[in-house]
Amino acid sequence: MENLFSNTLDGYLFLASLLFAIGVLGILIRRNIIIIFMCVELMLSAVNLLLTAFSVHHNDPNGQVFVFFIMAVAAAEITIGLAILVMIYRNTGSVSIDSLKKLKW
Amino acid sequence: MKTIILLSVLGIVAMMADIFKYRAVLWYLVLAGIGAAVGLELLEWNQNMPYYGMLLMDNYAVAFSCIILGLLFVWFLVSRDSYTGQEFNDADHYALILFSSVGALLMVSFVDLSLMFLGIEILSIPLYILAGSRKKDLSSNESSLKYFLMGSFTTGILLFGITLVYGATGTFHIERIASAIGNSTMPVYFYTGIALLVVGFGFKVSAVPFHFWTPDVYQGAPTFITAYMSTIVKTAGFAGFYRLFSTSFSNARMPELMEGTTWSILVIVLIVLTIVIGNLIAAYQTNAKRMLAYSGVAQAGYMLMAVLVSQVEDNTKSSLMLYMASYGLATLAAFTVLYYVQKSKGSDEFEAFTSLGKTNPLLAAVLTISMLSLAGIPPTAGFFAKFYLFTSVLKANPSLLWLVGVAIFGSLVSVYYYFKLIISMYGSDEKSTAEVPTNMAYQFILVAIVLIILFLGIQPGLITNLANL
Amino acid sequence: MLSFLIFLPILSICVVLAMPLRRYYLHKAITLATAGIQLLSSVFLFASYQSGQGVQWAETYEWFSFSAGYLGTLSADYSLGLDGFNISLVLLSGIVLFVGAIAGWLTKENRKGYYSLYLLLCSSIYGCFLAQDFLLFFIFFEFMLLPMYFLIGMWGGPRREYASIKFFLYTLAGSLLILIVMIGLSISAFDPIKTATQNGITEIALLKPAMQQGRISASQAVHTFRFEYLGDASCYLPSGILSNASSFIWKGLSLREWAFWALLIGFLIKLPSFPFHTWLPDAHVEAPTAISVVLAGILLKIGGYGIMKIAYPFFPAEALHFSYWIGLLGVISIVWGALNALAMYDLKKMIAYSSVSHMGFVLLGISSVTVEGLNGAIFQQFSHGILSSLLFILTGVLYDRTHDRHIENYHGLAVKMPIYTAFVMVAFFASFGLPGFSGFIGELLILIGAFSSASSAGPLPYWMSLVSTAGILLGAAYFLWTMQRMFFGKFWINRGITWKEGLYDLQSRELLMVIPLSALTLLLGIMPAWLLQSYSSETIAWIQLIRGL
Repeated sequence: MENLFSNTLDGYLFLASLLFAIGVLGILIRRNIIIIFMCVELMLSAVNLLLTAFSVHHNDPNGQVFVFFIMAVAAAEITIGLAILVMIYRNTGSVSIDSLKKLKW
Repeated sequence: MKTIILLSVLGIVAMMADIFKYRAVLWYLVLAGIGAAVGLELLEWNQNMPYYGMLLMDNYAVAFSCIILGLLFVWFLVSRDSYTGQEFNDADHYALILFSSVGALLMVSFVDLSLMFLGIEILSIPLYILAGSRKKDLSSNESSLKYFLMGSFTTGILLFGITLVYGATGTFHIERIASAIGNSTMPVYFYTGIALLVVGFGFKVSAVPFHFWTPDVYQGAPTFITAYMSTIVKTAGFAGFYRLFSTSFSNARMPELMEGTTWSILVIVLIVLTIVIGNLIAAYQTNAKRMLAYSGVAQAGYMLMAVLVSQVEDNTKSSLMLYMASYGLATLAAFTVLYYVQKSKGSDEFEAFTSLGKTNPLLAAVLTISMLSLAGIPPTAGFFAKFYLFTSVLKANPSLLWLVGVAIFGSLVSVYYYFKLIISMYGSDEKSTAEVPTNMAYQFILVAIVLIILFLGIQPGLITNLANL
Repeated sequence: MLSFLIFLPILSICVVLAMPLRRYYLHKAITLATAGIQLLSSVFLFASYQSGQGVQWAETYEWFSFSAGYLGTLSADYSLGLDGFNISLVLLSGIVLFVGAIAGWLTKENRKGYYSLYLLLCSSIYGCFLAQDFLLFFIFFEFMLLPMYFLIGMWGGPRREYASIKFFLYTLAGSLLILIVMIGLSISAFDPIKTATQNGITEIALLKPAMQQGRISASQAVHTFRFEYLGDASCYLPSGILSNASSFIWKGLSLREWAFWALLIGFLIKLPSFPFHTWLPDAHVEAPTAISVVLAGILLKIGGYGIMKIAYPFFPAEALHFSYWIGLLGVISIVWGALNALAMYDLKKMIAYSSVSHMGFVLLGISSVTVEGLNGAIFQQFSHGILSSLLFILTGVLYDRTHDRHIENYHGLAVKMPIYTAFVMVAFFASFGLPGFSGFIGELLILIGAFSSASSAGPLPYWMSLVSTAGILLGAAYFLWTMQRMFFGKFWINRGITWKEGLYDLQSRELLMVIPLSALTLLLGIMPAWLLQSYSSETIAWIQLIRGL
C-alpha cells in the first residue's frame, strides 16, 4: 500500500476509479430507478473528483471549468430523468425497472 | 457558428409559438430558417474559421453540418403529417428537435472536448423527452427511460475517458492532445481513457455489443422521432467519433503494439461484431420498425470502417459523408412510408405491408428503392457508398481484405431481410385491399428523395469531390 | 449509337409509366417496338462489324473520379464499344429480347409493372454487354438482377418467392466476389493516358517505364477500370496488390490466384457450372415463359462472357495454370447436368439441367485455351441462346394450355398437335447436336479444341474430351426418351389435368416466335462461318495472350 500511494495522483485515480466502478455496478444490478439515478450521479462525481485532481496536477484551470460544465449538465439531465420517472410512475404505479418489459428482442 | 446561433434562436422562436399565436406559420418559418442556416453554413466554406479554440469551422465541419441540416430539412418536410393531427404539440416538438440539432452541429465542429461533451448532451437531452412524448403509452415510456439510462450511463463513461486523456496530456484541445502524444510514452490510464471513449462512442452509435438499447428505444419511440434518432443523431455521433479519433489519436501507439494504433484493434472487434450480429439479428425480425433499427445497427458497422482507417487514408472522410447521406436519406424515406402504413393499418409488422405494391404503388416503389439503397444495390447511392468505403479500406491496408470479406458477407445477409420487406409488399393478400391514405405533397417529397438517392447512385462524385478537403 | 441501345428502353419506360393503366395494349406495343428497334440496331451493328479492327463504335466519356490520398486518383469512365466477344452476344440479345417481348404478350397481371421491368432488363442487358469499363459492367451486371428478381418474384409460379430470392442471393454472392477483385484490380492498375496528362508527360511510351521503375510515385497515378488497361500487364503498378510483382502468399496461393478464383466463381455462379448451379432449376421452374427465355437465352451467357472477357485475360498466367481444374468443372457440369436431366419429371426442369450441361461445354471450350475451343465456346453460347429460348417457348406453349409440365402426364401428343411436335423435334434434335443444326457445330468445335489442347501441350488431358463426348450421348438419350414418352404412341393424357381451352396446335403468335428461331439454328448449322467470321481474329489474339506467346 505504501508503494501504491507514493504518487498522490495515483491515490485519486484509485479512488475515482473505485467510485466509478461502484456507480457502474449499481446501474447494472439495482432495480429501483431512483437508485439507478443516484448511481449515475456517483459516476459523474467520480469523474469530477478525478478532473479536479488532474487540474491541480497540471496546474491548468480548464479541468475545473469542465467540472462546472458537468455539474450543470448533470443537473439538467437528472431533471429530465425524474420527469420521465414521474411519467412512468403515473402509468405503472411502480419505480422498479422490472415493470417495464414491453419491448424485448 | 452563425448557423448554431441561428438554429438556437429558431428553437426559441418555435418555443414561443404558442404564446404569440403563430403556430400556423411555424412550419414555414422553421423551413425557411433551416434554409438560411444552410446558406450561412456555405459562407464558411474554405474559411477555416476558429472560434476561440473551441470550434473550428473547417471544411469537414461545414460539409457535415450541411448534411445534417439537409437531413433536418427533409425530416421537417416528411414529418409534417404527424403534427397536423392533435397527437403532439408541434411547437414543443419543433423546439426540442431544433435544440437537439444544435448539439449535432456542435459535435461535427468541436475542437475542444468540453464542446464535444456539451454537444452530446444538447443532442441527447431533448431526445429523452421526445422519445417519451406519448405520455400514456407504456412502450413510449419504456423507450424514453431506456434511452435516458443508456444515455447518461454512456455520458459517464465518455467523461471518464475524457478525464483520463486529459490527465495524461493536460489539455482538452484535440490537436494539442495529438501533439502531446507525439512520440512520448503515455501512462497506462491514457490507453484506458481511449478504450473508454471507444466504448462510449460505441454506445452512442449503437455498435454491437453496446447496441441492445437501440431496437427497444427505436421501436417504442414515435416513428418520426425514431427516424430522427437513426439518421441525424447517428450522423452526428459518427462525425464526432471520426473527428476526435482521426485528429487526436492517430498516433496513439502502445509501445508493445507498434503495428497499428491501440484503438484500431478495439474498433476492428466492434466492426466484426456489429456487422455479423447486427445483420443476423435483423434477419430474424418480423417487425419492420425493429428491422430498421437493427439495420441501423448493422450499418453502423460499415460506418465504423471509415473511422478505423481514418488514421492513414485521408479520403475516408468523403466515404463517410457519402455513406451518411445515402443512409440518412434512405432511412428517412423508409420511416416515412412506415409511418403511413402504421397509421392506416395500426401495425408495423411485415404483414401490414402486404399488397402495398397494389394499393399504393408509389409508396411501395419508394420503399423498394430505399431498401435497395440500404442493401447497396446499384444504381442507388448505397452501392457507391459501400464501394467507396471498401475501396478506402483496401487502399489503407490491403491486409484488411478479410474485413471487407466480412462486410460483404454482412451485406449479403442484409439483402435477405431488406428483400423480405420488399417481398411482403408485392405479395398479394385479398384481405388488405384498402389504400393507405397519403397526401399528394408528401408523395412528391418522397419521390424527390428517391430521385436524389438515384442521382447520387449515378453521379456520386457530387459528394465525394465535395470532400476532397 | 451504343448509348442509344441502352437509353432507348429507359425512355420507353418513362412513356409506359406515363400512360394510363387502361391502355395496356399500348404498353405492349411500346415494349415490342423498343425490342424491335433494338433488334434492328443489333443486326445493323453485326453487319457493320469487322473482325480484327479493334474496339468499334467506341464511346468514352469520363464519368467521375475521386482523389484517394496517397494512392493517387481513381477514375471511372463511361466507356462502350463492340469487340469480337460481345458482338455475337449483342445480336443474340436483340433476337432473344424481341422473342421474349412476344412471349410476354399475354401477361395479365399488373401489365404496366411487367413491361417497365422488362424494358429495364433490356437496358441493363445491353449495358452489361457493351460496357468496356469494369465498373460500368459491374453496375449493369448487378442491376440486371433487380428486374429479374421482380419478374420472377411477382409473375412467377407458386414457389416464386423462394426461387427469386435464391436466384438473387446466389448471383449477388458471386457479384460481391467480383466487386472485391474489381477494387483490387483498379487500385493496382493505372490509366497511362490520364496519368501522362496529369503529370505533364507528352510521350505515352515514356510513361510506362517510368511507372514501372517507380520514377513517378503511386500518388500521382490515375487508377482505372477500363478493360483495355486492366488486361495489359504493363499498366500495373509494381507496388499494386494485384500486380505480377506482388509476392503476397496466403494458404499456398498468391493473391493473384485468389483473385482469379474469386472472379471465376462469380462468373461460374452465373454460368452456372457445377457445383453452383442449384439456383437455375428453381428459377426456371418458377419464372414465367418470357423470363425463362431471357434467363436461359442471355443471362447465362454473361457468365461465359465474363470468363472470356475478364477472368482469363486479366489473369492469363493464373488462368492457364488452373485451366485443368476449370475444364474439370466443365466436364462435371456436362455429365452431371445430363444425368440430372435424365432423371427429371418436370419438362422445364429437364431443360434447365440440359442448360447446365450445354453451358459446361462453353466452360470446356474456354479452358482448352485453343483457337478451336474458344471459337466453339462463343458459337455454343450463341447457339444455346437460340436453342434454349426455343425450348422454353415450346414448354411455355404446353404449359399455357394445360398448366402442367409433367412428362409422365402426356403421351402421343403428336396426334393432337402435329405442328407443335415438329418444332419440338427440331429443337430437341438441334439441342443434342444433330449435324445440320447449330448445336452440332458448337459442340464439335469445342471437342476438337479439347482434343487439340491435349495434343498441343494445352491444359486439358484426353480423357476430358472423351468423357464430354459421353455427355453428348446422354443428351441424345434424355431428349429422345422425352420425345418418345410425350409425343409418340397412342394419345393419352393424365386425367388429373384440367386444361382450359383444349390442346389446340400452335397459333400465329407462337409460330412467329418459333419459326425464326428454328430457321436460325438451321441456318447456323449449315453456314457457321456467318457467325464465326465475326470474331475470328480476336480469338487468335486471345489465345496468344493467355498462352503467353
